[in-house]
Amino acid sequence: MEGSGLADVVRMSRALADEMVEHCLQERPNEACGILAASNGDITKVFRMTNATRSPVRYALDPQEQFAAYKKLEESGWDLGGVFHSHTRTEAYPSPTDVRLASEDVPYVIVSLASDPPSIRAFRILKESLIDADGRIEEATVVVEEGEGDGPPDG
Amino acid sequence: MSVEVRIPTVFRRFTNQEAVASLEPGTIADLVAQLERRYPGIGDQLLAEDRQLHRFINVYLNDEDIRYLNKLETQVSEGDTVSLLPSVAGG
Repeated sequence: MEGSGLADVVRMSRALADEMVEHCLQERPNEACGILAASNGDITKVFRMTNATRSPVRYALDPQEQFAAYKKLEESGWDLGGVFHSHTRTEAYPSPTDVRLASEDVPYVIVSLASDPPSIRAFRILKESLIDADGRIEEATVVVEEGEGDGPPDG
Repeated sequence: MSVEVRIPTVFRRFTNQEAVASLEPGTIADLVAQLERRYPGIGDQLLAEDRQLHRFINVYLNDEDIRYLNKLETQVSEGDTVSLLPSVAGG
């Protein structure tokens, strides 16, 4: 998982950022989770998923939903652009559990609901091997693009 | 060479970045052994010391999770697709 050269910038529209945060707010008091699809380096879709642990301090993507979402990525020609989850009471920084269980070589986006408005940060968790418990945390840049044209016009 | 095994990004450093491996039919355990022969090191990423799948790996035969089939003894036939997925979790 070292040095894959994947993007260390998570670039998304305000509409998609708001959709991700909304999912996190709706799932309180439990942590929320999902994945982000990317195309040409930009986030193109938020996949809201069920937190299989239904816990305020842990999350796990529902495996069947994850499988369906990954198939959708492939069918659409999208990349896995990131994994997101919420921290309901702590800062947007990887917890020891986040590091221990990190498995994907993409930015892990964390939405902290401890602040108002919620904060969004992203991190790569670099490991020699998937089965390693330790990893190196590197912050990725989150760019939320304000502006118009985030979707088709109404009507 | 008729079973397609889809390799997740996290394992592609073992497969020279190949995303798909074409293997001979057999059980999932047979396929893991074929993968290890072809891509040394990947087997330890998939199997724990007790030779069962690591708990952070999910394996699908076509659209079904093999935990609900016959686990490592699940039979894979010609034309089937096997997908390896890392479970994604944290706290």
